[in-house]
Amino acid sequence: MQIRRQTCGRARPLGYWGQKDTDPLTMRELAICRYCDTVHRRFDVPGRATARCVTCNSPLYHANADLGAMLAVTVTATVAFVVANGFPLITLSVNGHKTEATLWGAIVASYNQELPLVAAALAVSLIIAPLIEIFLLLWVLVPLCAGTRPLGFSLIMRAIRVMRPWRMVEVFLLGLVVAVVKLAGLASTMPGWGCFGVAVMTFALASLGSFDTSALWRRADEVRA
Amino acid sequence: MTRAIDIGLVACESCELVMRARDPISGTCPRCGEHIERRKPNSIARPLAFLIAAAALYVPANTLPMMVSVQLPLHRSDTILSGIAFLWREGSWLLAVLVFSASILVPMLKLGALGLLLWTSARRSKWNSRGRTKLYRVLEIVGHWSMLDVFVVALLAAVVQLGRFASVEPGPAVVPFAGVVLMTMLASASFDPRAIWDDAGPRSAHGHE
Repeated sequence: MQIRRQTCGRARPLGYWGQKDTDPLTMRELAICRYCDTVHRRFDVPGRATARCVTCNSPLYHANADLGAMLAVTVTATVAFVVANGFPLITLSVNGHKTEATLWGAIVASYNQELPLVAAALAVSLIIAPLIEIFLLLWVLVPLCAGTRPLGFSLIMRAIRVMRPWRMVEVFLLGLVVAVVKLAGLASTMPGWGCFGVAVMTFALASLGSFDTSALWRRADEVRA
Repeated sequence: MTRAIDIGLVACESCELVMRARDPISGTCPRCGEHIERRKPNSIARPLAFLIAAAALYVPANTLPMMVSVQLPLHRSDTILSGIAFLWREGSWLLAVLVFSASILVPMLKLGALGLLLWTSARRSKWNSRGRTKLYRVLEIVGHWSMLDVFVVALLAAVVQLGRFASVEPGPAVVPFAGVVLMTMLASASFDPRAIWDDAGPRSAHGHE
């Protein structure tokens, strides 16, 4: 069997090695494409590359398995989360009259305007989902880096996977830009420190997506053994 | 290429552990306890239901006003499209294009692309499986960007509270608009992209009953 395409990584179709073996140790070395069901054999991918599926070219797994770096990025995201929530996002002043919008203020405002559904959507996508993801990652990464298995590890990993699609911090960042531009005609508008927090959190959370999550599982298995 | 379904392998959706499984599959992953299944259940009917709901909400989301702003004595209400036209006239072309992409193009693309994916996989089409998989991945990535306008309106409403002088209020389109985003996200999450490949090659013929 031939390798039709091999981008970045060194994932190879199972058939390439003529492999029939299915004992548990070899199973650890397999990766199945979640888009097209092709079976690959895992290889160490160099650098920060991404292994891609030979059949459909979807990403299979990332090379970056440095848990220490992942912890550092998570701590950055935690600080950014505090800044994004604790400081005003936009300051508006008209004739010496000043109003400030915070994230929490935006949620309360939509709730008061009889839009509880919008308030809930904001709260989930901008506060609850990122907070849970960051907190759970810290909960998992700190013990793993220290060499112990975190309490409730598998349940937490499942929770992180469930929460991830519902955080929309990066969309909110663009929303802030649009809001500031729309307000520019009305009054003098200043983006606040909260904007900075949202921006840093966006990049930190995006970079968390480039780590190989199966590295967490491998480390947890090692720690238990 | 060897497909997992053909050699009796299945990967845990949560921890990606590969295991051998015999049909009918029942039980949970030995490593993380996640429920194991070969394919997402009702991979056509469920996303189709969400898609129909999204299409129904799409109409009020685009025709009702998204934002009502009062700047005495002026009173204006903007739909998504007139809000974009406003940005364009103000000279913020780049933002107008961005908002247009996020609020108009992306929802339309999502409705159309999901419809195409569902239709082709229901017909067990072999047409351009690689391209259709790519389309599905694009849908997964752009999925939540349409929330942009909801966030903008909520922010404006929070910041513009200058008593009788000026105020901004979310319009009735906000809820259906957020509904479209939610429904299309659920639709793409409940679709199983492996269905695109299940009938693509001669090998997978015995993967089905």
